[in-house]
Amino acid sequence: MKYSKFIKAVAVGMALITATGSLPGAAYAEGEKVAVFLKNISNPYWRAVRIGSEKAAKEYGLDITIVAPTKPDNIEEQTRQVEDWIVKKPDAFVFVPVDYKAMEPLVHKANEAGIPVINFSNRVENVDLVSYIGSDDFTIGYEAAKYLFDEIGGAGKVVYIEGVPAAITAQRRKAGFEKALSEYENIELLTSQTGMYRRLPALQVMENLLQRYPEIDAVMAANDDMAVGVVEALKTAGRLDGVPVMGVDVIPDAAQLIKDGKMFASADYSGHDQGYLAVVAAARHLRGEEVPANISLPVVIVNQGNVDPWLLEPEQKPTPDWDAVIAAQ
Amino acid sequence: MTELSIQNGDPRKVWARLGDVPAALYLLVILFVGLSVASPYFLTQANLINIVLQASVVLIISLGMTLIIITEGIDLSLGPVLSFAGVVFGAALVAGWSFPVAMIAGIVAAMLIGGLNGYLIAYHDLQPFIVTLGTFGLAMSFAMSISGGESISGLPSGVQWFNDGHILGLPFPIWATAALFLLTHILLKHTRFGRYVYAIGGNRKALQLAGVRVNLWQTSIYVYAAALAGFASFIMTARTNAAHPTVGMGLEFDAIAAAVLGGASFSGGKGTLFGAAAGALAVATLRNGLNLMNVAAEWQSAAVGVVIIAAVAGDAIRGRT
Amino acid sequence: MTVANSQETMPAKAPLSENVTWLLSRMTALATLIVALSFASPYFFQTGNFVNILKQASFQFLMSSGLTIVVLTAGIDLSIGAVLGLAACVGASFLANGQIFYGVGSALLVGFTCGLVNGSLIAYLRIPSFIATYGMLWIAVGLSFVFMDGQVIYGFPESFRVMGSGFIGPIPTPILIAAILLIIMVITLNHTKLGRTLYAIGGNRNAARLSGMPVKFWEMMAYGISGLLAGFAGLVIIARTGAVDAGVGNDLLLPTIAAVVLGGTSLMGGRGGIVGTAIGALILAIILNGMNLLGVDTYWQIGVLGSVTVLAVLADDKISKHIDMRG
Repeated sequence: MKYSKFIKAVAVGMALITATGSLPGAAYAEGEKVAVFLKNISNPYWRAVRIGSEKAAKEYGLDITIVAPTKPDNIEEQTRQVEDWIVKKPDAFVFVPVDYKAMEPLVHKANEAGIPVINFSNRVENVDLVSYIGSDDFTIGYEAAKYLFDEIGGAGKVVYIEGVPAAITAQRRKAGFEKALSEYENIELLTSQTGMYRRLPALQVMENLLQRYPEIDAVMAANDDMAVGVVEALKTAGRLDGVPVMGVDVIPDAAQLIKDGKMFASADYSGHDQGYLAVVAAARHLRGEEVPANISLPVVIVNQGNVDPWLLEPEQKPTPDWDAVIAAQ
Repeated sequence: MTELSIQNGDPRKVWARLGDVPAALYLLVILFVGLSVASPYFLTQANLINIVLQASVVLIISLGMTLIIITEGIDLSLGPVLSFAGVVFGAALVAGWSFPVAMIAGIVAAMLIGGLNGYLIAYHDLQPFIVTLGTFGLAMSFAMSISGGESISGLPSGVQWFNDGHILGLPFPIWATAALFLLTHILLKHTRFGRYVYAIGGNRKALQLAGVRVNLWQTSIYVYAAALAGFASFIMTARTNAAHPTVGMGLEFDAIAAAVLGGASFSGGKGTLFGAAAGALAVATLRNGLNLMNVAAEWQSAAVGVVIIAAVAGDAIRGRT
Repeated sequence: MTVANSQETMPAKAPLSENVTWLLSRMTALATLIVALSFASPYFFQTGNFVNILKQASFQFLMSSGLTIVVLTAGIDLSIGAVLGLAACVGASFLANGQIFYGVGSALLVGFTCGLVNGSLIAYLRIPSFIATYGMLWIAVGLSFVFMDGQVIYGFPESFRVMGSGFIGPIPTPILIAAILLIIMVITLNHTKLGRTLYAIGGNRNAARLSGMPVKFWEMMAYGISGLLAGFAGLVIIARTGAVDAGVGNDLLLPTIAAVVLGGTSLMGGRGGIVGTAIGALILAIILNGMNLLGVDTYWQIGVLGSVTVLAVLADDKISKHIDMRG
């Protein structure tokens, strides 16, 4: 009798597992199967990427699945996900590495398994890519920093709030910032501290720095979540006036602050467009079209003057025109 | 333990033996059967090897973790220790050190942290939780500053053999995991070290009174667990062909979960290596299954949480009847 | 008088002298830090900076207070950051529409419910708290992902935001909130039957049971309260930052545990208390503040934090042994 209990347990388990299959996973059409790998699912930036890629999938009738680590930006988890998906052999990978060096052998494995890989956001080196789409973190850090330095007349005391230490985007954005810094000899970097890419830590770090530095002319944060935290800290301390805050990503509430004149500007990396174009590239490649090996997107600086389109939800954003993008290369 | 040696024959007694089977094994069997039916990709040689490969790192860490849990301790630093050892290993290789020397450097780095853990816990009688939380940070800082916060890449091509190399048709990590499992098993069951592991968990005072150098032995347990994490870092490094300073993040919790699913308990110092191994395999199978079945990422975490609780709860309910 | 009483019903309540020792060693650690940092940075010993530190410690205290109760019962709650996040997300969805009552209510309800689920698994099914709350961690994280769908919710009413970023007189509101919570918890834990029960559950379970306390019920409630307070902390945090996304609870767990343990509450249960956690939260906030003021390299911050934590516990251990020996 107890054995039957065990069998029952197994049966219930099986039923549950089969039921799990009906948990939501995106499926649009009967078309080619494409796995889209993202870095995380909590940051609004990656939501925009996802929506962009879903729009392309709908338009081209692809069956895409969004795959993202449940621990944000976790190398070990993305490694497992890629391995699992190589087993499933979809028609193509659309891939953002959580770390472009660490994911190299995985992409290599996908190459060996004959799965075409479209890479965007961070380029994976030494592997076969159908196409690479995006602007890189170094450029965005560099461009954003230059724009901010120009705003304060190329001279002044600046604070930099870094992302998660050892995260690749944080590294590259900081490197870009430092390059800009080296080009402006009258800009003094007071300090560079981590805000962990999160609002609350950034807010608290900024509060502490406000105690330390009675004079701060400008602040740059490696992403908008932190930039908004910085604005909040400056506001509470009554020191927001005349201190421009620059961020990266243009998340919705940062856009609102820019619109209200409380935050200076942010640099966009257009996640929505990248996600869209990457999936379109996959579709076109799978259907035998030639796709450029390199599609670079310009960094857009978003300030009070041009912020309006960024106040739209990503669902309402217009998709970029493929032919126009290609023509601009 | 004695119940385990009941003779076979009487089905009731067989069931009594089954009663000692950890939640992890039930979970593993259920998942295995269920997923074989539910997904055509699951029951393939490639995927099964895939699962064992994926489980190997957590499994190796969970062996040491189980020993520590038996002593009523815990080690939260093992994840960062893995990162640290991997970074030392990677940096040494890039600096042109030979393979064995680089491996020794990595393992020694890990053992230093383990030694610090053990020293503070055994000799100064501090709580393992807080000590290893502290060395968690320390190991992470070491890893980040040595690597400059970036993946150390450009490793000699031989490194990947730790992941891809095949012996008798099976990849190296599977052999390594099996070997370390056996080694730990022998240490635990057939040596003085093992006897003391149990005794420290059971009755530390008595051991001390018997003239055993308890502090030294207890320290060596933490050193051994860290060395295992150091070894696991080679496999991790090989998988990504790069040494990343935060790659071990969260692995300590995965290893603890594996051990607990396998029947380890913090109070009373219970735990078996077999259970921990089954736990690590069960969680890897579960995550693999969720991926194969296209479960969306946002539902995956919830599913993992529910399954872990359900498995342990099922076990608890069964244990009462 | 209560001491005599405690011989029967509250076996775990520490005698007065031990409490004094305990508080003294904690204060020594705190004072050492303050003196050291005052020498190290001229910006540290300033009224403005102290208010700043108090404010940051208040947030840490709000997060760690619920955990303290759980730890007193010899348990652990790993789900605290994740539950805080889920509660904040759910609450925020109402708050963004100006529905303060529903927002606050739903966040507290979500926190409390998650806590009760933890508690009933632990108290009634005897699942180890480590694994039950680890499972809950992933469930709460997953539900936050599902609920938020990658969005950020912002634009809360100003009257709500006062809770996190406002002032009452010259004092920042969060400090006031933390102070009130501290007083309530000191009274509850030290001067009520409930408090004694919680200490007894962690200190001597059998004695607690034999003396007729509803041990299981209150053990469950400890997690319920922990969840409730996590939900509350989530509200104060989003009132402070003005927005929330599904990752709001990330990385909050370890500092939350650290504050409790730095405060001297034993993970074995039954020993320590809420005043300790308040001091632990202060120590943590001071270390973080000090590192920012001194400009400690990003890579070394977590290492410094870890080392100082261990050193504080080590020093504390030595000091209390020293005091014990002398009398």
